[in-house]
Amino acid sequence: MSVNRNIPRRTVLRGLGAALALPLLEAMSPSGFMSSSARAAAKITAPQRMAFCYIPNGAHMPDWTPTAVGADYELPYILEPLKPFKNDLLVLTNLMQDQAAAHGDGGGDHARASSCFLTGSHVVKTSGADIKVGISADQVAAAAIGDRTRLPSLEIGCEAGGQAGNCDSGYSCAYSSTISWKSSTTPAPKEINPRLVFERMFGGGSSEEADASRVRRLQRKTSILDYVQEDAKRLQAKVGGADNRKLDEYLTAVRELEARIQRNETLKRVAAPKNYEPPAGVPKEYPEHLKLMSDLLVLAFQADVTRVSTFVFANDGSNRSYPHLSISEGHHELSHHGGNKDKQAKIRQINQFHITQFADLLEKLKGIKEGEGSLLDNCMIVYGGGISDGDHHNHDKLPILLAGRGGGTIKPGRHIKYEKTPLNNLFLSMLDRVGVPTASLGDSTGKLNDLS
Amino acid sequence: MRPIRPYVRLGCPAWSIDIFCYAVLNGVSAPNCRIARCRGPVSPLCKMPLMTLPRSRSVGALLLGLIFQCCSARAAPPDAAANFARYTKDVQPLLAQYCFQCHGDKKQEGELTLAAFKDAASIGRAHKTWEKVFDRVAEGEMPPMGKPKPSEQETKLLKDWLGAQLDSGIKDPGRVTIRRLNRNEYNNTIRDLVGIDFKPADDFPSDDVGEGFDNIGDVLSLPPLLMEKYLAAAEKIMAVAILTEPTKAQVNKISGRKLKGDAMGERIGERAKSLSSNGELYGEFDFTLPGDYNLRIKAYGDQAGGEPAKMTVKLDGKELKTFDVKAVAAKPHEYSYRVTSSAAGKRKVAVAFINDYYQPDDPNPNNRDRNLIVVGVEVEGPLDVDVRTLLPAYKKIFTVVPKPDGSDKEESARTIIRTFASHAFRRYARPEEVERLMKFYRASQQEGESFEQSLQYALQAVLVSPNFLFRIEADPTGNQPKRIEEFELATRLSYFLWSSMPDDELFKLAATNQLRHGDNLRLQVARMLKDRRSLALVDNFAGQWLQIRNLNTVTPAKTTFPNFDDQIKADMRTETEMFFEHVMRDNCSVLDFIDGNYTFVNDRLAKHYGMPGVSGKEFRKVSFTDNHRSGILTQGSILTITSNPTRTSPVKRGKWILDNILGAPPPPPPPNVPDLNEGQAGEKVGSLRTRLELHRANAICASCHAKMDPLGFGFENFDAIGQWRTKDGKYDVDSSGVLPSGQKFKGPAELRAILKENRDGFCRCLAQKMSTYALGRGLTRSDRGYIDEIASSLQTNEYRFSSLVMAIVRSEPFQMRGVKKEAK
Repeated sequence: MSVNRNIPRRTVLRGLGAALALPLLEAMSPSGFMSSSARAAAKITAPQRMAFCYIPNGAHMPDWTPTAVGADYELPYILEPLKPFKNDLLVLTNLMQDQAAAHGDGGGDHARASSCFLTGSHVVKTSGADIKVGISADQVAAAAIGDRTRLPSLEIGCEAGGQAGNCDSGYSCAYSSTISWKSSTTPAPKEINPRLVFERMFGGGSSEEADASRVRRLQRKTSILDYVQEDAKRLQAKVGGADNRKLDEYLTAVRELEARIQRNETLKRVAAPKNYEPPAGVPKEYPEHLKLMSDLLVLAFQADVTRVSTFVFANDGSNRSYPHLSISEGHHELSHHGGNKDKQAKIRQINQFHITQFADLLEKLKGIKEGEGSLLDNCMIVYGGGISDGDHHNHDKLPILLAGRGGGTIKPGRHIKYEKTPLNNLFLSMLDRVGVPTASLGDSTGKLNDLS
Repeated sequence: MRPIRPYVRLGCPAWSIDIFCYAVLNGVSAPNCRIARCRGPVSPLCKMPLMTLPRSRSVGALLLGLIFQCCSARAAPPDAAANFARYTKDVQPLLAQYCFQCHGDKKQEGELTLAAFKDAASIGRAHKTWEKVFDRVAEGEMPPMGKPKPSEQETKLLKDWLGAQLDSGIKDPGRVTIRRLNRNEYNNTIRDLVGIDFKPADDFPSDDVGEGFDNIGDVLSLPPLLMEKYLAAAEKIMAVAILTEPTKAQVNKISGRKLKGDAMGERIGERAKSLSSNGELYGEFDFTLPGDYNLRIKAYGDQAGGEPAKMTVKLDGKELKTFDVKAVAAKPHEYSYRVTSSAAGKRKVAVAFINDYYQPDDPNPNNRDRNLIVVGVEVEGPLDVDVRTLLPAYKKIFTVVPKPDGSDKEESARTIIRTFASHAFRRYARPEEVERLMKFYRASQQEGESFEQSLQYALQAVLVSPNFLFRIEADPTGNQPKRIEEFELATRLSYFLWSSMPDDELFKLAATNQLRHGDNLRLQVARMLKDRRSLALVDNFAGQWLQIRNLNTVTPAKTTFPNFDDQIKADMRTETEMFFEHVMRDNCSVLDFIDGNYTFVNDRLAKHYGMPGVSGKEFRKVSFTDNHRSGILTQGSILTITSNPTRTSPVKRGKWILDNILGAPPPPPPPNVPDLNEGQAGEKVGSLRTRLELHRANAICASCHAKMDPLGFGFENFDAIGQWRTKDGKYDVDSSGVLPSGQKFKGPAELRAILKENRDGFCRCLAQKMSTYALGRGLTRSDRGYIDEIASSLQTNEYRFSSLVMAIVRSEPFQMRGVKKEAK
């Protein structure tokens, strides 16, 4: 058990309540006159958030999967740090992402694992053109409810995409570094620099900027976007083939931005919290980086900057070493343990370290009061990865957790065991709970009916 | 590994192929001609150097005539039916006999099956497969060792048929998808467009990488996040480039006690410093631009000895004026001098005390000691000008200045917008485009904003336009590929060699259609390679070809390599970059990459390598005296990125060489085969080599690892951070190996010699990599012939770097644009 209990920033986060316009408070006002039934209604109107935390290279499953099923189970070694949150948590065993398997495409399980994780779709094997997988669960939500917040969704992570060469056995780097897909062909890249995440969340301009000048700047941006839209359309008339696809992408981006600017004019502005010092850049130490990113995720949910987020702890196939755990071998290298006990011990240590970070995230969410309960109560946070055993690259029996109560629609505190059930079924059940009922996604076969 | 390919002749007399080679090498294009490619032993005509062959119109016409004569002989597509008949009669039985065991219906090793071809059409579609088969058979790698091999005659039969099959592919210059500027290109383009190097794209999301590079049109996506950044960047850039308020001269101050110099003296109070004997203090000041500057020195004297303290003011050692400093401590005075500085940059302003006086015996205690006290120095300037107008960005943008009465304001704005948009779009902006941009100007004017503010607005729009963000090329109108316009060619050139927009010279040549004229293309390439901006080719091409960008992400284990740090990492990268730059700038042979007997080191890296006698942190060229290192393969950067955190990985090193030097990437590992199993057996079974050999005993792994592992073993004398060693733990390093071809070597030097002997494969690989980068698209089967030509052009030009670049620039894929295919 090694949750660091002494992080000043967390205190800041707790203190933020006063500085931020909380969505729920708005919904409850005037709170003083609210009847209990109105409060109950308000509880339902509290925005529901969903986040997906991704861990690479599978997990040491014997130390992940609890033996007992139901409410009365013991947390195995890797999950131990989650003890304080056992009652906010579901351990979901035997979910699978079958489309991440080769199905005739040969190697490249890491690339497939990450791009399939939230899409449940089989990726087109290509190192260049024609990247194609499917829309991801988070982006389904963002497309439907993203217009209610400053940012439709927030994609963050702690490892940049590949910088040179192919990333995994003939797969484009976009696959192994992106879990969020806006459409089947457009990856939604993640931001790894905390400073830039902060600027996106609260806008780059100074908070003191006069409203008049801010409105004018936004208007100008809108007219520029009108103009370039016209440009792109004129070009589209002239070019063909793949060029048109690119210009479509351009136009989609322009339109989305336009919509966002309009939204910003109508939505109340979210000010940057006064007592939170904007992060300077990417911290050199990985644990600090993870911590900073999870702070920002909490901040984004708390201030209702967005309700949908993905958080990639490390890209699948990551060969990062964990010197602060005295592990000098690369994670990927270790994950091919071949049954070696020493290696497995190190893998579970890495797995537990990531869980510690997750526990830290949950602690922060739980520490923030929202309505009658906590922010965590109005969240659904999936934690897991697209590979089960790193040595076998199997994509069934995935390590999956679900934290939060989905606004009271989920009954946590249990270990549920499934039989060969698509992970996407979980996502459909989550989409229901954020008000985006979706009939099917990827290889889904239905919904999980036992969450509540 | 790649022996020279057999000469493929298909109904053409030998001379026609020679002429074809000549024609293509010299840029005479015959795009619709389907002809045997120039392969293998090049005829004397082909061997004539690219630049020196006489090129007269009549010779060209004659050659073209001959080519078409040849073409007409080959105008009909190869008879698919006849080819298929040959396949069923001769080829299929051979495949069944020698290949089907592993690549048939039952087993598909390397995901390859040869048993699926039942008709001419399926054979025609499998071009890539035949390419692979041709290579493996020609190289003698397949069938693998220990399996029955076809006889010489059978091999020839097989290769003849494969050659014919391959050559039935039509040459097509291809069509690159419009390319969005990537982050580097965006930064460089902004630098050259507005004259400010402030790298706005560093905050953009990282670019998508495909085909090994981050400039591939098809792959570069444009998510809304990026659009958001473009919009914000345009605003920021224009706010910096066009200053809307007149800017006052800058004042830089240095207090007395912060002045440098070893003159005797002491601190007085918070800021001042006294000079107690003759001596000098100085400060370095930024003279940002040429112009007039005021130098002001606040000082006073401890007066004694009948004359005031004297102070000489100097600029870069040159005496400007000597002041009588009559002021006293109670009331220091500012002594000022106006100087014209014709140069910009850091300059030294010095103050000297020149008349020290010391009479400790003087009866009057106030008349014993004369000192000069300097409170501070300040430099103000440039004076009397609107500093804005001196800034590079202003000069670039404000190509005209409206009259003071404002009568030609609108016309000036139009000119400025037209010029800026033309540069940004890398072609002349069309009148209607300019008029649409003028709307922004007018809207802003109507709101009562200044000339500058209104332009800011209009030019912001330019920077978000797809015409700026994408490199657009016009499609051919008919159904034939066409030569691209000169503006498009200038743009291809500048982004290839500079990762930036064309400069004025290129723009002018293209505007007058002179870029292809005479020898201009070659002269421009030579000029561009010499220009500083070609460092972009080092950063972006070499950084990705050699994958040294991955140095950022490797972390050798601290426990195993305590001395490895970020500094040595940076040094390694510098070494490889300087090596590449040297080959590029000095137009060396590209074979230097394999065995150039020199490198670039500083003291740290030399120490890391165990090379004595190098001191100082500057890098310099050194030659190797031992036979350990040579070329890039033994540079720390490459050796480190191909290692695991705690140990070397011969597999990764071998794969790296196959991928990036030999251009023969092994297929991906079959699913569910674990990596090297150190587990169960572990140390018990011996050295890494022994363990890898066990691994290779697995037949599924053997065929590829037989290629990768020996190459990697050749470099086992270098540990995971590139240091020389003869022991790996308790085991002696054994850096010998046998390649699938049967070639044997002992140690890196012998392996290098083998690699150099197979320079053919290396040249083709380099041609492929650089063409991919230059074209911004993945290569297809129809590029194979072009690549062979580029590679053979290297051969005929002593492997000079510039001949590689030139051959790519002259190649049809670079010069032409194919017909669009509708999106699938």
